Amino acid sequence: MFSVLIDQFWSLTISGIALGFIYVLISLGYTMVYGVLRMINFANSEIFMFGTFATVVITRDVFHYTSLTTHSTGFRLVLILLLSLIASMLTSAVVAVFVEFVAYRRLRARGTNKLATLISAIGISIVLSETMRLLTHSRPTGSGRVLEKISLGTLWGANIRIDNVLTIVAASIIFILLDRFVKLSRMGKAIRAVSMNEDASKLMGVNLNRVISTTFLIGGLMTGAASFFFVTVYENTKFNIGFSMGLAAFTAAVLGGIGNIRGAFAGGIALGLLETYASAVLGTQWKAVTVFITLVLVLLFRPNGLFGEAIQQTRA
Amino acid sequence: MNLRDLGAGVWERSNRPVRVAIVLVTLFLICLLPYAGGTFLATPVAAFDSVLVYPIAMFVLMSLGLNIVVGKSGMLDLGYVAFFAIGAYTMALLGTHTGLNTWEIMPIGIGLSMLAGVLLGLPTLRLRGDYLAIVTLGFGEIVRIVALNSESTGGPNGIANVPMPPNILGQEYNIFNQKLFFWTTLVMILLVIWLVRRLSVRRPGRAWEAIRQDEDAAELMGVPTLRYKIWSFTLGAAIGGAAGVLFASKNLFIAPEMFTLNVSILILSCIVFGGIGNIWGVIVGAVILGYLPDRIRFLSDARLLVFGVVLVVTMNFRPDGLLPRKKREKALPVKVKSGVES
Amino acid sequence: MTTPILELKNLTMQFGGVVALNEVNIKVMPQEILALIGPNGAGKTTVFNVITGVYQATSGDVLFEGGSVAGKSRHEITKGGIARTFQNIRLWGDMTALENVITATDVHKKSGVIGALFGLPRARREEKANRAKAHEILEFIGIDEYSDRLAKNLPYGVQRRLEIARAMGTSPRLILLDEPAAGFNPAEKVELANTIKKIRDAGYTVLLIEHDMSLIMGISDRVVVLDFGQKIADDLPSVVQNDSRVIEAYLGVPDDAS
Repeated sequence: MFSVLIDQFWSLTISGIALGFIYVLISLGYTMVYGVLRMINFANSEIFMFGTFATVVITRDVFHYTSLTTHSTGFRLVLILLLSLIASMLTSAVVAVFVEFVAYRRLRARGTNKLATLISAIGISIVLSETMRLLTHSRPTGSGRVLEKISLGTLWGANIRIDNVLTIVAASIIFILLDRFVKLSRMGKAIRAVSMNEDASKLMGVNLNRVISTTFLIGGLMTGAASFFFVTVYENTKFNIGFSMGLAAFTAAVLGGIGNIRGAFAGGIALGLLETYASAVLGTQWKAVTVFITLVLVLLFRPNGLFGEAIQQTRA
Repeated sequence: MNLRDLGAGVWERSNRPVRVAIVLVTLFLICLLPYAGGTFLATPVAAFDSVLVYPIAMFVLMSLGLNIVVGKSGMLDLGYVAFFAIGAYTMALLGTHTGLNTWEIMPIGIGLSMLAGVLLGLPTLRLRGDYLAIVTLGFGEIVRIVALNSESTGGPNGIANVPMPPNILGQEYNIFNQKLFFWTTLVMILLVIWLVRRLSVRRPGRAWEAIRQDEDAAELMGVPTLRYKIWSFTLGAAIGGAAGVLFASKNLFIAPEMFTLNVSILILSCIVFGGIGNIWGVIVGAVILGYLPDRIRFLSDARLLVFGVVLVVTMNFRPDGLLPRKKREKALPVKVKSGVES
Repeated sequence: MTTPILELKNLTMQFGGVVALNEVNIKVMPQEILALIGPNGAGKTTVFNVITGVYQATSGDVLFEGGSVAGKSRHEITKGGIARTFQNIRLWGDMTALENVITATDVHKKSGVIGALFGLPRARREEKANRAKAHEILEFIGIDEYSDRLAKNLPYGVQRRLEIARAMGTSPRLILLDEPAAGFNPAEKVELANTIKKIRDAGYTVLLIEHDMSLIMGISDRVVVLDFGQKIADDLPSVVQNDSRVIEAYLGVPDDAS
């Protein structure tokens, strides 16, 4: 059982880190919304799923890539990748804003209780995934290989594939950009202010609706980027892919400390590694179980996660 | 228009004999439903009397169970299907490997579901709303995945040849004639209604209401919140498990794909649509949402999509559902100054 | 020398960098009315929160009837004899006034779900007794006529009094009232003062947070003043009223004072 883990350790580590970066970006969608709304963005899983389909549509239908097409190199390749990335990010962002508007905004304005908002979010999540299911006739969708998975060399016996490297490098850049944005920009400060103290922020002239919509938008952009990397590495998607990826990314967010952006980074990488190692040891069919058990353990024993706030607030 | 108040008005204006008559007539009409298969109520694809049992009657039963958790206590359980599955698999495994019959297995199925409820509840019921929702969702999925991947539960092929319940009063349970199953489920539903109403007007009901409306205040007023949350969870689980046992016995065959997250969402939709917290609302919601997709062809495949829309629309426009839970105040003998909302 | 019913010993409550309570020492004697006053932010509600178990003290102790409350859960502390009202009304709005109080009386019930389900005799007896008791309490407070009205539909003054009735439902020996007179007009305040005295005379001990000085001076046996988490006065009302430190805390010191 453990032999696979030991033999392929570095290989697994690299793919685990790459997967981890994908989780980092998706979990940003959860963590940022949680920061400003104190609620889980249940539909983030479908925001991710739509992004993956955007990637597929761009590569397969716009650029006509199938598994048989000869691959581009150089400038054209970079162009295609970039366009796919942007398309995914934008698609997810649009879906995210749509979700905020339909599922959250009206209820928030009316001061409805959290339970109702949560149910509404679940509803929209179902609507999105079912719509895609009906559109794809419940079948998985493959994407053409845009990026030839050439090896860049080996390190300690692990094969360094370009798609993993691309994911790690590009996702890092995007993450750093987000981090800087939240730290330095005016909107970033507004977002942080709202997440710390909503009432005070409103009194200081922050337009709450704008901040919340923007947060959803940014979360969507991040999740969309993740979806691009996902399709590049795994080359397929399905209407229900959001569920497992979403659950894992959410666990990553909690693990790192929900509401905390840097925590999302730590949590994402950690979970990517954990899941990859566990799959090697136990088999891939127990992946979801591993993630779930991790979630429960974190919530039970360290609800703050590694860097975050307490989930249970005492109120009196 | 408040349907609940309309109905309540009629009820309150009637005296005892009239009320008894209303109840008996309604019950009689409901018992006759399986014979209505030839009328405009007929369902095009599946047999009407089969649809009456599953999904309609079973959805009603499970909605009543989930209502205790979500409606009365205010806790969102997204993994309710897990208890249904545990009941069903208990029936399937014990039914095929031992000589026990459905009624002997029923308490075991209920017991195991309750145990699962306690085991799941103890660590997680301290968590806040959304976290509880995710964890319960995960639990529901885990149960399905375990059933899917274990040899002992038949893996993806499930378990077949689940025995039917033994004959009762000379009547045989027959897969081609589901009337008996319907009446049996009806009896269970009535039992559950009685159970819930009993508890509602006594300490447990008050505790659950207090927890739902303001849990912190409840704790500070001496309500042992964890204990009652677990009770609500466990009772809901018991009902789900009972439904599962009966389902397996009726269906003769169960497989993991019957116990997906969708079922949990479906039941939740019934409650939300019908009226969270209101027994009658929940029943009406389950009947409508259980029946319509089988009646209206094109709805069938888009069933889940419709339910998703129902959830969003209901929460946005009529969060109390069809029959709201709001209590009516009894008429006051003395005129008092009208209240001011604080 | 009677033992205090409640004792705060060197109680310190720290939240991160903020010290809300700093080595506070307070003794509350049985059947006295003790007022806790101080400028906003002084830590008064924090004291209530520590006593009722909402927060665990950072250091120091809270002794109720000789036993420490540390580590006890909130409902255990209530069961042990301490009840409170809230600064912002936290009634169960969708329940009637009577039900609000009955729920509070449930704390001492021995029967639970099983008893309710099977209609066991003890459960039925307790149910009847608690219902009668709830009516008694509502009458005592003077709002029995509202017993079947939903709490959220009650007039503000009645709601405030219902909060007190509900707290009394738990059969406490110590009642903590958090700004019970907030929003009251002078006539209502007089009525409230009489009610509080009546409660004390019936055998309860009352610890009271309030801002209305005339109310406090009128009914309190003793006054404790907190400022920035520290006790700055602890004496008879008339003495505290003239204490220069107290006046400074509330009004500030003139700029040109030396």
